Amino acid sequence: MATDRMPGWVRGLLYTLALLVLWEGVGQLRLVAGGALPPPTAIALRLFADWADYPNHILATIQGASIGFVIGNAIALAAGVLFVLFPVTSRVARGLNVAIYALPPIAISPILVLTLSGMAPRVVLAAIGCYFVTMTATVVGLSQTDARAVDVVKAYGGSKWAVLRLVQWRSALPSILSGLRIAAPNAVLGAILAEFGGGGRWGLGVYLLGSLGRGEPDRLWGIGLMATAIAAFAYLAFAVAANAITGTTQAVTVPSSVAKAADRDRPVWQNATIAAASVALPFGVWMLLIWALGVPAMLAKSPAGLFEYLFLMPNSPVAQERLLAALAQTLPMTLIGMVAGLAMALGLALASQIYPAIVRAFMPIALVTQTMPLVALTPLLVLMLGRGYSLILWVTISVTFFPAFVTMAQGLILVPRAALEVPRAYGAGILTQLRLVSLPASLPYLFAATRLTVPRALLGVMIAEWLATGTGLGNLLNQSRGYLDYGMIWTVAVVSVLISVAFYQIVVVVEHRVLDRLGMASTN
Amino acid sequence: MSLTVNRRHFLSLAAAGASLPLTSRIAFGQTSPFTMQAAWINDAEFAGYFLAIDRGYYADEALDLTYLSGGPDVIPESTLVAGRADLALTTPDTTIKAITDQGAPFKIVGAQYQKNPIGIVSLASNPITSPQDLVGKTLAVPPVNVISVEAMLAINGIERSAVNIVPYAYDPTPLIQGEIDASLDFTTNVPYTIAQAGAEATSFLLYDFGFTIYNDTVVVTQEALAEKRDQIVAFLRASRRGWEENFADPDYVPSIADTWFAGTGRSIENEVYFNQAQQPLMETPNGIFSMSEEDIEANIEAMAAVGITATREMFDTTLLEEI
Amino acid sequence: MTKGSGITLDRVSRNFDSRGRRVEALREVSLACPPGSLTALIGPSGCGKSTILRLCLGLDTPSSGSLALNGLSPADATRAGMTGVAFQDAALLPWRSVQANVALPLDVLGHSVSAHASKIAELLDLVGLKGFEKSLPGELSGGMRQRVAIARALVTAPEVLFLDEPFGALDQILRRQMNIELQRIWMETGATTLLVTHGIDEAVFLADRIIVMASRPGRIAKIIDVDLPRPRDRSMFGDPRFHALEREIAEALDGH
Repeated sequence: MATDRMPGWVRGLLYTLALLVLWEGVGQLRLVAGGALPPPTAIALRLFADWADYPNHILATIQGASIGFVIGNAIALAAGVLFVLFPVTSRVARGLNVAIYALPPIAISPILVLTLSGMAPRVVLAAIGCYFVTMTATVVGLSQTDARAVDVVKAYGGSKWAVLRLVQWRSALPSILSGLRIAAPNAVLGAILAEFGGGGRWGLGVYLLGSLGRGEPDRLWGIGLMATAIAAFAYLAFAVAANAITGTTQAVTVPSSVAKAADRDRPVWQNATIAAASVALPFGVWMLLIWALGVPAMLAKSPAGLFEYLFLMPNSPVAQERLLAALAQTLPMTLIGMVAGLAMALGLALASQIYPAIVRAFMPIALVTQTMPLVALTPLLVLMLGRGYSLILWVTISVTFFPAFVTMAQGLILVPRAALEVPRAYGAGILTQLRLVSLPASLPYLFAATRLTVPRALLGVMIAEWLATGTGLGNLLNQSRGYLDYGMIWTVAVVSVLISVAFYQIVVVVEHRVLDRLGMASTN
Repeated sequence: MSLTVNRRHFLSLAAAGASLPLTSRIAFGQTSPFTMQAAWINDAEFAGYFLAIDRGYYADEALDLTYLSGGPDVIPESTLVAGRADLALTTPDTTIKAITDQGAPFKIVGAQYQKNPIGIVSLASNPITSPQDLVGKTLAVPPVNVISVEAMLAINGIERSAVNIVPYAYDPTPLIQGEIDASLDFTTNVPYTIAQAGAEATSFLLYDFGFTIYNDTVVVTQEALAEKRDQIVAFLRASRRGWEENFADPDYVPSIADTWFAGTGRSIENEVYFNQAQQPLMETPNGIFSMSEEDIEANIEAMAAVGITATREMFDTTLLEEI
Repeated sequence: MTKGSGITLDRVSRNFDSRGRRVEALREVSLACPPGSLTALIGPSGCGKSTILRLCLGLDTPSSGSLALNGLSPADATRAGMTGVAFQDAALLPWRSVQANVALPLDVLGHSVSAHASKIAELLDLVGLKGFEKSLPGELSGGMRQRVAIARALVTAPEVLFLDEPFGALDQILRRQMNIELQRIWMETGATTLLVTHGIDEAVFLADRIIVMASRPGRIAKIIDVDLPRPRDRSMFGDPRFHALEREIAEALDGH
């Protein structure tokens, strides 16, 4: 085949061009949703015409997103280092970490707007979007260091800090950079979400809100693509940096896996204390924040206030009934969405090994799904998919697959070269090679990806319910805002976090079972 | 209390480092600071306040007004409870629900819209001109407004389940494309957009079918009423002046295209249409913000239809008398 | 030339508990390597020879018994920069140049790298890597990487040197060549050396004394002194005394 002789990036570019031409044709002929999908040229022309509006909005978004990005990632890096150096802290903080990751932005945005002023809600939402992915990537990177190199440093009496400084941080860099790569679009989207709801004058989110009512998809796409461009710039910067150093990070030979002397002799009471602390910490932080922000009790519910709302008030049975009815609608879709999102991520990650050029061409689209505010796409999605299960699934996949895909792809790339050569020596094709070596070897990363996907699936379903179907927890949350039912707003936020944490914990248990049996170390 | 203030002070200092100007401040010599929370982003719905700011009417009343824009996540009543504004523009049904259900210490001291501009908008090609037409149809409603639609349906004897209510995300495209049959929106606004898209809209107000409530009610806390009564009256006086002048001067709204409306993403023609369309909904012989006894009674009755128990005591008309 | 008391192990045991089973990696092992000597540990897999090395380096702690390097505990000795180590795998940091990899122990110990620049150059010359100072490990052959590891082990001018199958991954020809070079280097430094090896010929060629170990539990089976004259050269591999020692070790390994 002639294309085989082309360099990979040329083929990738060709596929991207082909996609653009296809999009243009579909848009011009109004094939999708009666023209709700505008052709790229129309978007470009509109962007050009509207250009005078953009600079202030772009600057405000970049400001909010980048301050949040810096703060969120600084905290994430520090936390990751702490968790690796003192593993007990990681177990104590697990509940808090997952809770932060699972916080539904649609639920906390009104609370942030209420309690903070100026840029602060945007910065906080952007920072929250960064924290978990970067923290996880840092922990994964630091703990997957070549044990032999660590031994050399320790053999010279090197402390934990010396190991960190001389070996771990550098070998963790590719992983950290891939974390930052996912964090960048998250920060942009977080800032835009807060702008959208928060009532300021500047920011792409504000512009989007004002433009929604015009019913002009080309304007909405222009704003979304501008957000994408900002995120893509940050994404590419980190991707280039990661590529530049991955080659000099990969171990030259296969580590003969020395089973780590696991810390299993800890007495039961200690484990129980740690688990209890892990559960208690998020509640402690919750109460502390309410106190520190000085929010009136009517607006900000403490755990006790929530318990009262759900169980002790005259209206409690009604509240319980509404909550359970919403859960019955949301939970089944969450499970399906989880599986679909993971399947999509795994499929893409494997495809990136087999057809790298096609996947590279798909990356711009993948990035758009991460930075295009879903509210801008809602009309298109509703027109294409209706307001049923297929829309929920679509939104959930688009919310979940990306972090999982990046993590899995990272795992596949880091499989030692020598290990791949064994099956190849027996004439194995790429599929056999993936099955026999790459997939098992990157199992810790597959589990890390699953952990990333699971809490977000619930978020995806809630967003779809909120924007389009008017069912389940997402709708309950939004209606409660209309009724000023603060008890229910907090209930939905807390319940969604608890469910996400529960799902996460299930994955952790399965992960430990499986990896223990295979003698592999978890990235957790 | 002082502890709360200190914490807040600390946090606002912490946030100040990163803050863009979200508020417009008009500073004059001996004035008292006063903050209002609007209900939405800057559009013609608030043109009267913009004019009063621009022409110094608040300053004339010795008010140093801080104007806070609204947005989807900004719940104006919450801003009042959190102590971040002295006065807010609200939807009366949520305000009264907050009073009855949560014990919020609110008083309604005026009403910007005598008739709520919220209505059912549909295409002239598939017209929905009365609540009965909605039976069996798909209606998109912003989730925060579902309660208003339920009230209107109840008043007109229509089963809630007879209408397929789906969320409305502020974009009229699904309506124009026929994916939904109607949407709930400001009738002062959407028909213009639909016309721009080459279709013709038809609409009716919920108000005209029994859901007789105000909108953009002017709400303060009882505490503010006790401590800042003069300033609230001054605000109403300056704002009424602003609104009257705005309706008298059709050139004002176009003139703020590049100031108040800069970068909102909406077109200035849209704002002009909005401003004209809202005039009959706001004007009343007793002056802007008036609340007549009959209208208050009508509000209470309409809300009773959805189980919201409003009482006359929640409305305080005495400040209007002092204007 | 050397000071201290060499390497001493006093009734050292090390047990591992996993999945409810206890594995005795070492049971009551006592050993004394005199200063300046080269002792080889040889034995089947799982006999605990690598465990001894890890214990000596402070990478692991004994379940009972004690160890000393020149009278100091392993932790104190390593922190004092008294030791050097080369593992079976070169374990080079892939992002550091050859030069910087050799300098790694200096970084760990907080010694000035620039002050040792000439020492590093000298060592690279000694192991035959002159001209590769700036290369990355990925660009070197296996033998070259192993020689970097040897240079790294020597950079602190160690009084006690540990070599864990340093040439295990090399071919026989290269390995013999490296053995001759190692003997030369060792004689120049005079370090007390503990060599863990699988290779009988390697042990006989290099060591003053060979400790043959047995497994389950890990213990010393036999101690064989090697009184071949030094320096030993290539012809030594054909010497009848050499073959006799090889046979004796092989028999000890077979349990005779």
